[in-house]
Amino acid sequence: MNELKRYSLTLTVNNETHAVTASPNRTLLEVLREDLHLTGAKESCGEGVCGACTVLVDGQPVRSCLTLAMAMEGKKITTIEGLAQGGQLHPIQAAFVEHHAIQCGFCSPGMILTAYALLRENQNPTEAEIRHAIAGNVCRCTGYAKIVKAIQSLAGEER
Amino acid sequence: MEKFTLIGKSMKRIDTAAKATGEAIFSADLSLPRMLVGKVLRSPHPHARILAIDTSKAEKLSGVKAVITAQDMCGDKWGVFRYTQDQQFLPTEKVRYVGEEVAAVAAIDEDTALQALALIDVQYEVLPAVFNIDDALAAGAPQLHDVYPNNINVEVKIDVGDVEKGFSESYLVKEDTFRAPEDTYFQGEPYAVAAQFDQTGNLEIWMPNAGPHMKSKPLSNVLKIPLNKVRVRKISIGGAFGGRSEISPADVICAFLARKARLPVKIVYTREENTVATRQAHALVTKIKTGVDREGKVLARDITCYMDGGAYSSTGPIATSVPFLCMEQAYRMDNVRYRGYRILTNKPIRGMYRVHGRAFASGVDVQLDEMGAELGIDPVTMRLRNARQAGDYTPTKSYVASCGMTECIVKAAAKAGWESKFGKLPPWHGIGIGCNSVQTGFPMGIRGGSQALIKLNEDGGITVITGIVDNGQGNESMVVQIAAEELGLTSDDVQLISADTEVTPSDPGSYSMCETFVGGNAVRLAALDVKKKLFKIAAGEFGTGEDELTARDRKIFVTENPKISMSIAKAVRIALSRNESISGEGSYWPDVDAKREWVKNPSGQLSEAFSFGAVIVEVKVDPETGLVEVLEVAAAQDVGFALNPQIIEGQFEGGVAMGGQGGMLTEFLQWHEGRVLNPSQLGYLVPLAVDMPPINNIIVETIDPKGPYGAKEAGMSVAMSAAQAYCGAISNAVGVYFHDYPITPDKIVKAIEEKKKKENAEVSG
Repeated sequence: MNELKRYSLTLTVNNETHAVTASPNRTLLEVLREDLHLTGAKESCGEGVCGACTVLVDGQPVRSCLTLAMAMEGKKITTIEGLAQGGQLHPIQAAFVEHHAIQCGFCSPGMILTAYALLRENQNPTEAEIRHAIAGNVCRCTGYAKIVKAIQSLAGEER
Repeated sequence: MEKFTLIGKSMKRIDTAAKATGEAIFSADLSLPRMLVGKVLRSPHPHARILAIDTSKAEKLSGVKAVITAQDMCGDKWGVFRYTQDQQFLPTEKVRYVGEEVAAVAAIDEDTALQALALIDVQYEVLPAVFNIDDALAAGAPQLHDVYPNNINVEVKIDVGDVEKGFSESYLVKEDTFRAPEDTYFQGEPYAVAAQFDQTGNLEIWMPNAGPHMKSKPLSNVLKIPLNKVRVRKISIGGAFGGRSEISPADVICAFLARKARLPVKIVYTREENTVATRQAHALVTKIKTGVDREGKVLARDITCYMDGGAYSSTGPIATSVPFLCMEQAYRMDNVRYRGYRILTNKPIRGMYRVHGRAFASGVDVQLDEMGAELGIDPVTMRLRNARQAGDYTPTKSYVASCGMTECIVKAAAKAGWESKFGKLPPWHGIGIGCNSVQTGFPMGIRGGSQALIKLNEDGGITVITGIVDNGQGNESMVVQIAAEELGLTSDDVQLISADTEVTPSDPGSYSMCETFVGGNAVRLAALDVKKKLFKIAAGEFGTGEDELTARDRKIFVTENPKISMSIAKAVRIALSRNESISGEGSYWPDVDAKREWVKNPSGQLSEAFSFGAVIVEVKVDPETGLVEVLEVAAAQDVGFALNPQIIEGQFEGGVAMGGQGGMLTEFLQWHEGRVLNPSQLGYLVPLAVDMPPINNIIVETIDPKGPYGAKEAGMSVAMSAAQAYCGAISNAVGVYFHDYPITPDKIVKAIEEKKKKENAEVSG
């Protein structure tokens, strides 16, 4: 099999720059998990439906399993590992813990980042807006009730 | 003073902060030095004889470190029971479903591993195959296994009372057949395994599991190494829902690859592999004949259920029995006949699923609704007239020590506004109820009990060592809460070592909802053992009796005079300086009938306690599109005692999503000649946040005499009865009783059309 040519690129992840080499077909998810060992983003469906691989690119939630790493140069990537600062949970993470919005935890990184992006754009989302925003993040455990409550609990807070 | 400091309160879970930060490590996240990528070659045929496998080209490919076939194993057959040993981890003679493991490779990267798979040449003789129950049972049908004539894998027969007499005395007798295709677990985490051997031949292995000890024994058997060399390690697990309890071929394959390559190997399943090659849930055809008296009391039931089990036994005897057992627990029935058949087909293997048997329980319930309608009795009254009561024996002779079935029905009905709604809702609106009951453990042989250890540190903190496993439901927090409560500590004072077969004693795992009852009791007893030792020391220092003391706030004090106190740390240091043992042990063996056996002797105490649940659902159906909007859900369960109310609510809510919203509206596998057409997230529709209705949780407590603090299990009866309630509500809205599940929009539209045709014919006739 012909090896695909590998290219050097610089990724900015959680405010740190990383020089990596990757073939053009490598996804952002693969580079994050395998090269940078940031395993918080998960692969669950592998086809951009479930949202477990969600990371933020310039503040917007994207499916890292469908995003090519090559296209990420010059962008600001935030993974779940970049949310807690100084050993303190980010208020969204704390709310998920407090409200029992996490069971198995496999969907949680993607869910929390989606909620983070929502609350940055809309500080007072209605329940319907919250449900709409996280409709692309599948959770098999919770039935979503406590996830919605956790996000609602932060409405109106300055972040 | 409050009775408890932690128990009964919504203590924060100990594991979720790590899950919120991405720090929690799941099997696929593991990375070990020089770790290889493992990949599995799978059968493209539903049924074929393996004539030859040539791996020579794959072995020569640069970067390939190991290739294995059945030749590398000893031909051992695995089975959950001695009489169901029928599955080889890599088959020697035949493949029996599309996706069955045939060979595997370990290579330096994924591309090389996939390339190596393509170089393995397997010659098959394709055999005729069977894809459904009727074809499998037909005369002259292709046979999957020699040991199961006519493809009948398991046959369960239960006869209690005089069924014919019961029918003859009935005012109304009804017989219907209910059907549902396969559904599947769809855990968030696709299956993944990592394995490595050390220089002395010890295996370390990580995988999602519902009981590490249930994995270590078959690994020990097949690898021919002692149990103390098999170290199933603790790892975060992305859901199980009844699956992941048995050994998986992936576990064994990964271990063999690691042993052959002498390097760590990791196999990560794709979503499709997780759907096809782990476990699925059974397809069911259930014929239910019920006789009731004028008041709606059930006098006799005759149930015959055929389950499509796929290619191998898996947990077949349990799966063939449980839907019946749940119903005999939930409802009184003195005269009953049950015939359960698990049929083998050339399809993937079916196991126990959290909401196993929708075309059984929903059939029992919707038939009650239908008979009630004929008698002029509403569904809630029908349930109340037949509800199980505490002090009863089930037909198969399990004593029911605690039972809140009636309370669940009454409270759910009140919360849902049943009286003001049933029969009074606007057109296309409906309301329905479902009732169910589940076990807290089964007789599980030598691994039926749990043992726990507690170690004290000189600062008064403790380490709890237990085999319990957390698949996401909160078991780890449950045992920490119990140990901290008993010893007057906070959860921060407790370290937990769990689910690691090198260190932790035997435990049945989370399978069969027994962790709270069995594992929780064992940890409580270990804590009581420690407490006794601490109190002995403190009583000696205080000059009081041990029974006059309380442990709270990290102190031991005289209950009537709290000023007389010492820190737990001090008591530990006294014990250490006196060379007195201060560690604790606890073991719990559930009081079940060891002679009870699924097939040979389905009679005797099945489980020490049973949970009971009732769900009421209100829906609105769009008659044009057949779409169902669920307006509200009331979910009630007798949990015995609510150790952690928010965890229980989460189980109720997740149960309604999986059992009701998914299980009755959207979830089913589609097939073409043994091939799953919708194995991926795009094709298999699990509920989303926008789909879910508001859920009102009702926790009912009956304080079981044997459960830890009276607790039983947390949410399975809700998960199971949700499907029944959805079915009842949709039937009520449409005015047609549905017998085919899930109730998808096309079925609703068709039912409405047929109903109209029938009404028009009656008018014109």
